[in-house]
Amino acid sequence: MPKVLSNGDELDVDLTEPEIKQIKNLLERDPTITEWGMFDVMHSEHCSYKSSRPKLKLFEDAEKNYDYVLAGPGQDAGVIDIGDGFALAFRIESHNHPSAIEPYHGAATGIGGIIRDILCMGVRPIALLDPLRFGPLKGNPHSQWLFKYVVKGIADYGNCTGIPTIGGEVEFDKSFESNCLVNVACIGLGTIEDFKHAPSKAYNPGDYVILMGGSTGRDGIHGVTFASRTLTEMSEADRPAVQIGDPFTKKMIIEATLEAVKTGYVRGLKDLGGGGLSCALSELTGDGGTGGDIDMSKIFTREPGMNSFEVMLSESQERMAFIVKPVGLETILEAFRKFEMAHAVIGRTDDSKVLKVKDGDNLVVNLPATALSDAPTIPREEKRPEYLDKLIAQQTPEPTKDLEEIIYELIASENICSKEWVYRQYDHEVGVRSVVKCGEADSGVLRIIGTNKFLAASVGINSKHCYLNPYEGAKGGLVEICGNVIANGAKPMAMVNCCNFGNPEIPESFWYFSHAVKGMADFCTQLRIPIIGGNVSFYNEDEVTKTAIKPTPVIMIVGIIEGKENIITLPFKQTGDDILLIGDTKAELGGSEYHSVIYDLEGGIPPHVDEKNIKATWDFIFELYKKNLVKANHDVNKGGLIITIAEMCFKNNLGADLDFNGCYNDKLRDDEFLFSESVGRFIIETQPKDYNKIMEIAENLNISVKKVGIVIANPEIYIKGLKGNYVKLDVNKMKNLYEATIPNLMEI
Amino acid sequence: MTIKIAVIQFPGSNCDLDTLHVLNNVISNGIEAELIWHNHFKEAQFDGVVLPGGFSFGDYLRSGIIAAHSPALDEARIMLKDGKPIIGICNGFQILAEAQFLPGALLRNDSLKFICKWVNIKVENNKTAFTSKMNIGDVLAIPIAHGEGRYYTDKLKELEENNQIVFRYSTENGELTEQANPNGSLESIAGVCNLEQNCLGLMPHPERASEPILSPKQTMHGRLFFESMVEFIKRRVS
Amino acid sequence: MDHQEYIVELVLENKPQARDPVGTTIQKDLLAKKGYNMVSNVRSGQYLRINISAANEDEAKEIVDKMCNALRIFNPVTQNLTILKVTQKN
Repeated sequence: MPKVLSNGDELDVDLTEPEIKQIKNLLERDPTITEWGMFDVMHSEHCSYKSSRPKLKLFEDAEKNYDYVLAGPGQDAGVIDIGDGFALAFRIESHNHPSAIEPYHGAATGIGGIIRDILCMGVRPIALLDPLRFGPLKGNPHSQWLFKYVVKGIADYGNCTGIPTIGGEVEFDKSFESNCLVNVACIGLGTIEDFKHAPSKAYNPGDYVILMGGSTGRDGIHGVTFASRTLTEMSEADRPAVQIGDPFTKKMIIEATLEAVKTGYVRGLKDLGGGGLSCALSELTGDGGTGGDIDMSKIFTREPGMNSFEVMLSESQERMAFIVKPVGLETILEAFRKFEMAHAVIGRTDDSKVLKVKDGDNLVVNLPATALSDAPTIPREEKRPEYLDKLIAQQTPEPTKDLEEIIYELIASENICSKEWVYRQYDHEVGVRSVVKCGEADSGVLRIIGTNKFLAASVGINSKHCYLNPYEGAKGGLVEICGNVIANGAKPMAMVNCCNFGNPEIPESFWYFSHAVKGMADFCTQLRIPIIGGNVSFYNEDEVTKTAIKPTPVIMIVGIIEGKENIITLPFKQTGDDILLIGDTKAELGGSEYHSVIYDLEGGIPPHVDEKNIKATWDFIFELYKKNLVKANHDVNKGGLIITIAEMCFKNNLGADLDFNGCYNDKLRDDEFLFSESVGRFIIETQPKDYNKIMEIAENLNISVKKVGIVIANPEIYIKGLKGNYVKLDVNKMKNLYEATIPNLMEI
Repeated sequence: MTIKIAVIQFPGSNCDLDTLHVLNNVISNGIEAELIWHNHFKEAQFDGVVLPGGFSFGDYLRSGIIAAHSPALDEARIMLKDGKPIIGICNGFQILAEAQFLPGALLRNDSLKFICKWVNIKVENNKTAFTSKMNIGDVLAIPIAHGEGRYYTDKLKELEENNQIVFRYSTENGELTEQANPNGSLESIAGVCNLEQNCLGLMPHPERASEPILSPKQTMHGRLFFESMVEFIKRRVS
Repeated sequence: MDHQEYIVELVLENKPQARDPVGTTIQKDLLAKKGYNMVSNVRSGQYLRINISAANEDEAKEIVDKMCNALRIFNPVTQNLTILKVTQKN
């Protein structure tokens, strides 16, 4: 890493020599050490997205192309208009590397960060979701430790701030062993008016700049050596690698911010994350076309004797920056005082288009406001991994065990089993909005008080599928997550994504990223789902073995249900009802749980997505909904359709009498049919009297629908009509296996 | 008549808005509930007070201890002596225990984990300001969400003799089993009251169980608490 | 009288009758299972270190004791308070 010098102070910067030269040319002088620090942070991969931006351009312009999208990518959170005067903001972010070092505080501060982003849009955070990935738990105390403390960190922080965690996902795979993934998502609700009050742009000269929240310490400062101080005075060992979150202060910040926003006097709002105050200010002024005049001495600090570099680049948690109309200053300060939040007026905006920060008489920052956001992009090479062809050609072995035994093993496997151990630790009812709760359906459903609307949200991706084909895998993820909200009766409204990949400087790793992005772009454009935000986390790879995680482009979908009567849930309801399978099953077992759990195989042909087919399927389902023909719905994913049917039996202790005769073609074996993970399929429960009506609609829309059985009172599953086997399963035995796996593994 | 209820907001209270919603929009019945910032609370204007759930002061040092020293509790003490109805829900219960309005203490759950789930509680005393609309032996479905809900007292005998045990965790059929006790509370105690029976504290959240749409079995047992409170206030006034 | 600065260290722990699941879990589920059978008991608690200005050590202890009782820094129903050490800050 190159070093830059300024007046005897030295800084390691993650900038290339050309970038360093470009910066000096732009300013026509050598930057101060503080300015170097700002460029270093803002040009880092994490802040500037220099590797990913060229690919992310593939996403269509959501704000332009969809009239209900109020804020698209590039803003603190995406925002959509959901009607009735309400707006929803949501965003997903990663906090992978800190969590791998210190899972409790890493995960907790991750939650803290995502909450702040939602607050910046002027709305109240009302839900959290957490997609997580670890190495397999069995026999691995390290993975168990990470899992336990990540969940506890999320629980403690989310519960204390009073925001329910309504959904999430956990995936276990060897590739995440040394690089666990902790992604956190947050949804905020407010009125359109609230949202309009908090654009994060400072566009009026003369406004006040106010810092509010926790005090500023030396957190996050590294790679710098001050001439004026010896190393022993600021030992790296004294400062934690991960920060300690303070959810109590966060809760007060939420209330104080919302109260301030409601006054109408807040013109700009930004949370202080990477790069701290300097970057928040440059973003605020740069986006707003103004400049700023900041007096460093007004900033309240936690430690004595901090210099300008430390103050401007500190990443201390729980801090917000406000741009306030002069006429409203006292009102805003009064709001902060009520909640006893520390605050300080640190300067004013002006029309100079330059960000100036003074330390006494010294001008330590004097940058054109837009200088920091214009980071160059770096073109990266892509290369399809050579191992893929052989991997995809892997055949599914003939089963050597009984199908019953295989199914019992699958239902108990880590990726399929119940995650109740996790969500019982989350307060998922606070806010009195939770109508469909964790474990009851494919997505969490919240009511929107004051309307007849409900929001449904789901999050996830299948990294094993993406590993074999990132393009199809990303599309398949969209099919699955949209399928989750559709199964609850919701129309998918918008998507945000969190891309977790390996080292972009390695062509094979970048190839995965590039193709996953293309998959998301193509699918969303065709299916008319706006992408309103995203986050990219690179460098998730084992330093020693240089193996990257499986490509993990996590997708989050928020949908809307109109009317309580249109909410659909997962469990079978009524003995005697029909069980229908929507969609075709193909021999697509690549990356399936069947392959990995039973044969320890990673290869095979992964599921392929046909957009036209998917659209027609979704239209079909909504037709059925319109006519109130569906009593239960569960989309088919991990483990295949037999796992799906079993899960629908659990809640009400029912069973299923199945006959698969004629449901699949000659080319498929029994096991291939039962465990295939072909995407876009649903199992629905309907009334026998509606069968003909349903089949008529299916025929008109050219959808493959087959009656595969009926719901029975006896908690057993009988499977007839297979080519070779007759299978009988005990539902209670399956349920016990399903529920016991994680508690048994976590007995530490 | 308008019934004025204060819902106290401490720094860190989370269930204040939920409680306000239930009182004003679900129960109504003449209730005018207001959110009152803890430092601004003056008891004279109110007929009753609710200390809602949450994490007042982050639960730092001990759940409820810092809030117990708030001037809001000095005001509430006047109401306590005056016989006005006071209910502490979850964190509110912890605060009332620390402020010694109610006997005993709430400790960390036996499992050492936070638990969020629906439980059943059996009514043991229907003479309090909040339980008059219930029958002894009724089993109510109410959710819990807490990490420090294990009730402990060294004065168990006194509580039993003075009829201060109001709710116990039970099965759907009213049996007091170990399985039905979610946090290891002494004698499955879920809620207690003061000697005069006008102050109640409980760990479960009745404000989350007042609307069928939120309940697993479409029940609304939570309403009974607040409807009882209304009845109690009306009787006091007349 | 000249006031010095003292550091009072104290611990708050659950009374045995009130149970201490944290301590019990550490002993039973962690230490015993990992072969540390020679450990028979673990108690957990909270540690506070208080910087206080007082005339002498005894006064420092007295003030701390009084304030912990008056403000219920420990809960006398369920906890015991033990002052571990008082040192004079140089």
